[in-house]
Amino acid sequence: MLSPYGLDIIESCLTCKMRADRLFCDLPTAALQAFESVKYATAYPKGAVLFVEGQVPRGIFVLCKGRVKLSICASDGKTLILKIAEPGEVLGLSAAVSGKAYELTAETIDPCQVNFVKRDDFLRFLKEHSDACFKVAEQLSEKYNVACHEVRSLGLSHSAAEKLAKLLIEWSSKSGESLKQEPRLKLALTHEEIAQMIGTSRETVTRLFADLKKRQILQAKGSTLVIRNKAALRSLATTG
Amino acid sequence: MSQTCLDCVERSDRVFCDLEPAALGEFDQIKSLETYPRGTVLFREGQIARGIYLLCRGRVRLSVCSEDGRRLILRTATAGEVLGLSATLAGGLYEVTAEVMEPVQVAEIRRKDLLQFLHEHSDVCLQVVNLLSEDLHEAYDLVRAVGLRNTRQVHSHEARPH
Repeated sequence: MLSPYGLDIIESCLTCKMRADRLFCDLPTAALQAFESVKYATAYPKGAVLFVEGQVPRGIFVLCKGRVKLSICASDGKTLILKIAEPGEVLGLSAAVSGKAYELTAETIDPCQVNFVKRDDFLRFLKEHSDACFKVAEQLSEKYNVACHEVRSLGLSHSAAEKLAKLLIEWSSKSGESLKQEPRLKLALTHEEIAQMIGTSRETVTRLFADLKKRQILQAKGSTLVIRNKAALRSLATTG
Repeated sequence: MSQTCLDCVERSDRVFCDLEPAALGEFDQIKSLETYPRGTVLFREGQIARGIYLLCRGRVRLSVCSEDGRRLILRTATAGEVLGLSATLAGGLYEVTAEVMEPVQVAEIRRKDLLQFLHEHSDVCLQVVNLLSEDLHEAYDLVRAVGLRNTRQVHSHEARPH
């Protein structure tokens, strides 16, 4: 079935080909069938807000396709992007489990397919299926790890240059490019969004990129970045 | 303080410890009770997670560290808390360093025993999911506090060398 956003919607989890590769979705048949009966498959365009920080939790969102930006906000409107969620992740999990308000805002940055499960249905599902409960514990553990990493990076980095260098190294490692002589990165975020990931201003990010290019550490080829000098970038990531 | 969880008087007030009799009996079998003096490091960030530490008595400081040795104190854990839970479940590295602030009694459970215990007791697994959710809420609050205020302020007030 084709949706208005050009997404090939996976209607049933039972026949989803991606399931085996995804931590939460790879459930035993009984649990999968129970999940199938409580989930709603929905499609969202780019820029849709799934939930807002501070809202009472309605349920969980399993990201099937597309990417979602997770951010937190200060009272003065300053935004910090915590993570870009990839397919397979469950969003709104800890809020739905604890009943406390969503801690983050989730906004789609691509057209997305999301499977939504109402909170009451989800809690009942977890009680009845210990395998799923275990997978939820694993997902929460992973999210906790990311949050600790973020605290360390934000609280203990000397400078914006150090944080940007760390972010670029992390991206190259995630894309499997880190072992190459000159790793390439597809820059999927704007300078404004990168600034929000490392807790600085858009102007600083633009200035840092210009500086890295001038020093031949980075080279831009369209929206692709080439890391020309890995050692220099690594040194920047540890010394600022 | 009791040597066995079965006659511990504090149990009913503690989220993780308030287990059904069958689960409690089994938990009592797999735990090993230890006491540690002030200054002991229960685990260090970056170490492979060996298991969890259920804090029966005392206080533990949780912190993260930069490569150059500066430390950011996250919070103080108190009696009843389970430490090292997420790293143990994920089978990864401890995300934080846990250092004893005053003499503690801890019930230690090895990773393998914990995983088996959780597989056999789905009600405890649900309890663990609740605990992890609470931990995550606190971690996000910390991200907000650290990330959305002046970085210079954080450095001068909270980061200090080992």
